[in-house]
Amino acid sequence: MPNQTRPTSSRFLALAALTAALFVIACNAIADAPREITMGLVQKIFYFHVPCAWLLMLSTLVCAGGSVAYLFGGSESGDRVAVSASELGVVFGLCVLVSGPLWAKAAWGVYWQWEARLTSSLLLWLMLVAYVLARRYGGASARRLAAALALFAAIDIPLVYFSVRFFRSIHPSNTVVSTLGPGMRGAFWLSLLAFTALWWVLFSIRLATETTYARIVDLEILLDQAEEKKS
Amino acid sequence: MKMVALAYGFIWLAVFSYVFIVSRRLGRLNGEMDELRRRIDRLRP
Repeated sequence: MPNQTRPTSSRFLALAALTAALFVIACNAIADAPREITMGLVQKIFYFHVPCAWLLMLSTLVCAGGSVAYLFGGSESGDRVAVSASELGVVFGLCVLVSGPLWAKAAWGVYWQWEARLTSSLLLWLMLVAYVLARRYGGASARRLAAALALFAAIDIPLVYFSVRFFRSIHPSNTVVSTLGPGMRGAFWLSLLAFTALWWVLFSIRLATETTYARIVDLEILLDQAEEKKS
Repeated sequence: MKMVALAYGFIWLAVFSYVFIVSRRLGRLNGEMDELRRRIDRLRP
């Protein structure tokens, strides 16, 4: 057993150290990035807001992928992947829904507008919250219902992404990254990379926790049977 | 400056809170594993 866990632990520690280093480099790059002319300092929220939005979508896609494997293939590991990703979707979705309005207050003068991008993002986050709540309090029977909910959440992703193109929206467009200056672009990609590495670290921990819990439940059933035989 | 600090602060707070929640779950799992070990020891002849 120690031979199995040690390489995993060292790989994990290396990834965690790499993530921390990436964040140090990214934060330095963000601090050094030039200020945007019209918005000034508040534009720097963008460097954390967009990576969080990307991770909200990534988490939803992974959750939906795992749910498909569970619904149509009966995959227990797919279900564990889905439940692990859903929690990260809730965390990073919350970060998007808080950091966005803080930027909006400075840029638009109001925290919230009921326009397509913001509303569809809120809807996506609420679906993930519903998934997590169903899994937490719904018992075993809610697993299939939650998996179906994850598929609905995945359908919302194109709506979130293309909402600024298809609907009248005051939200900045998807092409805003390509319009960034050289100093800003490097800081943005570094931040995106650091956040993606952080997501992978958190996802690995959460998935390992879920897998260990499933093994404990299996062992408890076996032990119950063995104890019955002995008595 | 206030909005930037609030946004960055909230994101870090959310991430660290989640790490704390997961670490508490890991602690509970360790407790359950200890209980399993005790039950296995009791079953051994």
